[in-house]
Order: sequence, then C-alpha cells, then structure tokens
Amino acid sequence: MEEMIIAILRSATPLIYVTLAGVIAQRAGIWHLGLEGLMIVGACGTILGIVLTGSVLYALLLACLFCILGSIIFWFVVEKLKANQIIAGLGLTGLGLGGTTLAVEAIFGTPAAVNAKFGLPKIGEVFGNIFGAFSGLSILVLLMPFVVFGMWVLICRTRLGLQITASGEHPFAARSVGVNPSRMRFIALMIGGVLCALGGAELAAGSLQIFAQNMTAGRGFMSFAAVVFGASHPIGAMLAASFFAIVGALGIRAQLLFGEDVPHDLLLGLPYIATIFGIWFSAKMRGGAKAVTGFGELRDQ
Amino acid sequence: MNTQFITIFRALSFILLALALCSLIFIAAGFSAFELFESIINGAFLRNGAMKHALRWAAPLFITSIGVIISFRAGYFNIGAQGQFYIGAIFAAFTAEWLNGSPAFIVVPACFMAGALGGALWALWPGLLRLKSGADEVITTLMGNFLASLILIYVTGGPLKDPSGSGQQASSRPLDAAYRIGNSYELSPTIIMIAISLGLIMWVLANRTAFGVVSGLAGRNATMVEWQGAKLMSVGLASFLISGGLAGIAGTVELMGPNGRLAAGFLPAHGFTAILIALVANLSIAGAAVAALFFGGLASAALYLPVMSGLPASAIEIINAAIALFITAKSKFLDMFFSLGSIKWKK
Repeated sequence: MEEMIIAILRSATPLIYVTLAGVIAQRAGIWHLGLEGLMIVGACGTILGIVLTGSVLYALLLACLFCILGSIIFWFVVEKLKANQIIAGLGLTGLGLGGTTLAVEAIFGTPAAVNAKFGLPKIGEVFGNIFGAFSGLSILVLLMPFVVFGMWVLICRTRLGLQITASGEHPFAARSVGVNPSRMRFIALMIGGVLCALGGAELAAGSLQIFAQNMTAGRGFMSFAAVVFGASHPIGAMLAASFFAIVGALGIRAQLLFGEDVPHDLLLGLPYIATIFGIWFSAKMRGGAKAVTGFGELRDQ
Repeated sequence: MNTQFITIFRALSFILLALALCSLIFIAAGFSAFELFESIINGAFLRNGAMKHALRWAAPLFITSIGVIISFRAGYFNIGAQGQFYIGAIFAAFTAEWLNGSPAFIVVPACFMAGALGGALWALWPGLLRLKSGADEVITTLMGNFLASLILIYVTGGPLKDPSGSGQQASSRPLDAAYRIGNSYELSPTIIMIAISLGLIMWVLANRTAFGVVSGLAGRNATMVEWQGAKLMSVGLASFLISGGLAGIAGTVELMGPNGRLAAGFLPAHGFTAILIALVANLSIAGAAVAALFFGGLASAALYLPVMSGLPASAIEIINAAIALFITAKSKFLDMFFSLGSIKWKK
C-alpha cells in the first residue's frame, strides 16, 4: 500500500503542478494547450542545467527562464496577434517538443536521452528520516500541497486572483473597473510558466534524472483535461489530476497482477481513457466548456 | 479578388514572422540559420527530383488535410487526424492480412474501404461525445491520438508482428508486392490519381452541395443553422465521419504505397502537418493542394537534412510548429498596410 501511494505521488506531482498552470490560465480566459510544450521545456531545462552547471538551483532557474520565455511568446501571439488559442497552443507544444530535441542534439551531438548525475534533493536528504518510506521522494512532492493551497489563496482569496478571474469571465466588465485584462493574462501566463517548469523538473529530475525526447507523452494535455474536469478550481483540478495518476498506477499494478494476459501497451492507455471519461463526465455535469463559440474566426472570408 | 490577395499576403507575412522566430531558435542552438534554411530549401524544392519527393509526401498529407478542412468548416476542431490515420492503416493492414492470396483487384479496394471505415470509426466516438453530451472534441481527439499510437505499437508487436523483424522497431509483415500501389523509390500515379479525385469530390461536396453550404454555415453560426431547420446533429456527425474517413484513406495510401508495412510510430507528424495545411490554405480545398506541396517539400527535406548536410531533422518540426503558432494570427497593422486604407478589413 505504501509503495502504491509513493508511486501515485510520483506520477501525480508533475501533473498537479502543470494542472495549476492550466487553472490560472483558464481563469484568465486562455485555453492553454501549450502546457505540454512548456512542461517538456521545463524537464529539458532542468536536466541540461544540472549537466551543464552542476547546480540544482541554477537548473531550476534555467527551466523557469525558458518556460517564461515560451509563455511570453504564447501571450504575444494569443493576446496581441489574436491568434486562435488552440492552434497557437498546439504550435507552442510543437515548438517545445522540437526545440528540446534540437537543443539536446546541438549540445550532445545526438538526440539520445540525457542522463544527469543527480536530481532534485530528496526529502530524506533535507529533513532526515522523519517521513519514513516517503523520504525517497523529491522535495517538490512535499512542496506540492503548499503550492496547491497557495494557488487556492491566490486565485480565490486575493485581489489579484479575483482580477484575473474577472478578466477571463468578463473582460469588458474587468476593463470598466480599471483592470487591464491583457496584463492579467500576462501575469497568469508567467505564473503558469514557473509552475510548468516545476512540473517538468519533477518529471525529469524527481526520481529519474533523465531527459528523453517526447518524455511528457501527453501529460500536458492530460493536465489540461484535469483543468476542465476539475472545473478550473485549484483543489478540484488537483483531485482530477490525482485521479488520472491513480488510474495510471492501477494500470501498472494490474500489469504486475495479470502479467502477460493483458497486453502491456493497452494498459498504458488507461490514463488517456480516464481523461476521455473525465471530459465526458464533466460535460454531462456542467454542460461542457467550449474554447471558442464560433469557428468563423478561423477563416476570414 | 483583392481580399483573397490580402489573405494570401497576410498568411505569407505571418509565415515569414514564424521563420524569423525559427532562425532565432536555430542561432541560439548554435546552427547557422542561413545554412540551415539554404539546405532546407535545397532539400525541399531545388535538388534533383525534389518535385517528385514533394509530391510523394504531399499526396497523403493532402488527403488528410481535406478531411481536416471538412470538420473545421463545420466548426468542429477534430485534431485527431493522426489517430484516425493510424487506425485506418491498421484496419487496412488487417484486411490485407485476412484477404491475403486473393487477386489484387479485390484486396486493394477492400483495404481502402476498411481504411476509411477505421478512420471514420476513430472519429465517430469523439463526434458522438461532442454532439450528444458536449464533451470538448479537442481533448477527446487528442487523447484518441495517444490511444491510437499505443494500439499501433500493440498491433505491430503482437497480432501483425513480422517474425523476421530485427526487433529494434516493431513492424508488421510486409505487404505482398502485388497489392502495393506504389513504392518508396518512385512516384506512384495511382496515389496521385486518388488524391486528385478525392480532392475534386470534396471540392464539389464543400462548394456545390447542400451539405457543404449547411456545414460551412454551421461553423460560423450553429444556432442560426439550427433555427433554419437543418439537423445540426447529422451534419456534425457526417463531417466527423468524412474527416476521419479521409485520414483513414491517407493511412491506407501510406500503408499500401511507399511504406508497404506498418511500423510502430510511423510518420508521427502527419496529422499535425495536415492541420497546418488546412489552416495555411484558409480552409479552402484548392489552397490545400498548394499548401500540401509546400509542406510535402518540407517533409521530404526532413529526410534529406541529416543525410546530405548533417543537420538535425528536428529543424523541420520547429518550422512547422512556429508556423502553427502564427498562422491564425490577425493584425490590424498588416491589414491596413495591405489594403492601403482603401478597403475596410473585417477584424
């Protein structure tokens, strides 16, 4: 049971960080499909930072820097050039996936996986053995509940959070009371960029210390689905992301139980099926959320 | 006419902006942007037989992209072309396996029908989820892509596994030579004919039939169309099925033509590129033919780059992604510049 919880925490933590980034973007009125790209940039930045500078702190800063850079580009395209959020988000994802491959190839000569000598500090190394079996997890796992709580306070209990929500829900009303929706979206995307960097760092350096091409494998999109499933509330989205992680962990457990009887590749698909189920369920409950009401904007006639 | 030119100029200027962003990334990664672009243009359009290679990649991309156009026109963001492409290819491969030994004039059409069916089925469930309960099709079709590539890995490593395979990459048994409609060395006239005839059929469907008019209007204002008495449900479902079916046919073309077998994770960027073609063409089928040639050239350059000039193939991926980032952008400044103040351009 304990190792099951550890496995769930391990796979849920990166998802939850990225989901929070999606929540705050969603609140500001942006459908953030670029989460996947920012997450892999965070993962790549962390590992490259550790390999090149040998310091975890610098590595995290590097990851945050690149993710914020990506967020700025995304904000400029979506907000200033009024591009379609879904297509631009997919473009940002492609840019992240291709850019990390290119960066690894440029630095190491081959696009193969990169190993780092050490990863993020473990709970045990910082606090001693007070967490028992859990001391093998990285400190970002320990930090996660506080970040979720902090995001809840920020979004639901502070002036800034309410201003961000207002500029997503009704930009015109927000502007009428002197809030600049464009600036609020900028702030939301910046915070999201840092959170994506943390999620990517936990994914790549939390327990594995490796960066491989396309290692996010749709986790960014899954986090985005968790935002929709969790009604874009920090706590709800955290629970949704945990649900996807639990299904994934159960799949691995089922594989150990049934062995060869069930094809291994199909069990890997369980989290994706859970995501589809979650989207369907939330649409049933809340009537569905749509990014854009009309698609006439895609085509200029 | 004038507005069409403005649209084209606008697309071109945003593509230029995207290329500028790409060159920044290339320079930051330590490559010479000039050299990289030179070899890409060379590999895509100028080298010997470049047109042939571009056409080889353009034909399946064109087929998938007209499917994407049909669903985007109707207002449904079916971005699951990749998954539908895979499932279509898998269905076709199973059919070829099942009918192995029959004459080619039975097997080939049967495979195409199975491919279209497979693609359409993989578009059916997101379509039903969207139309019956309003589940957002963007996420469901995206998840469908990941599921389809897992199914492809399973199929190529399990039921259809090639026992003589080297084991490095799982792939299915190669198709019998009699059933191939093309090979990887030369351009197949059959494939070009299939692409052209599908393009013509879809052009007529989109521009000259009631379905085309209604689905085009539904994409702009669904409520109005419903009030006019059209059945949004059937129009929407039909556009999902057509777009999935076309992606499935493209998968069959790749299977029976240049590839000849299924391999785990083959052509991973196909669906995304098809979406790009649809958007660059501004959802027009004639435009998609031109855009498909451009992106087909880029796709063939992705193979050419590492071999001929030792440059990374991920450069092409970055160029495609940057174009996606900017292609739907609008800019008042550009519109004013192009119309030179004479035409008031709609937002």
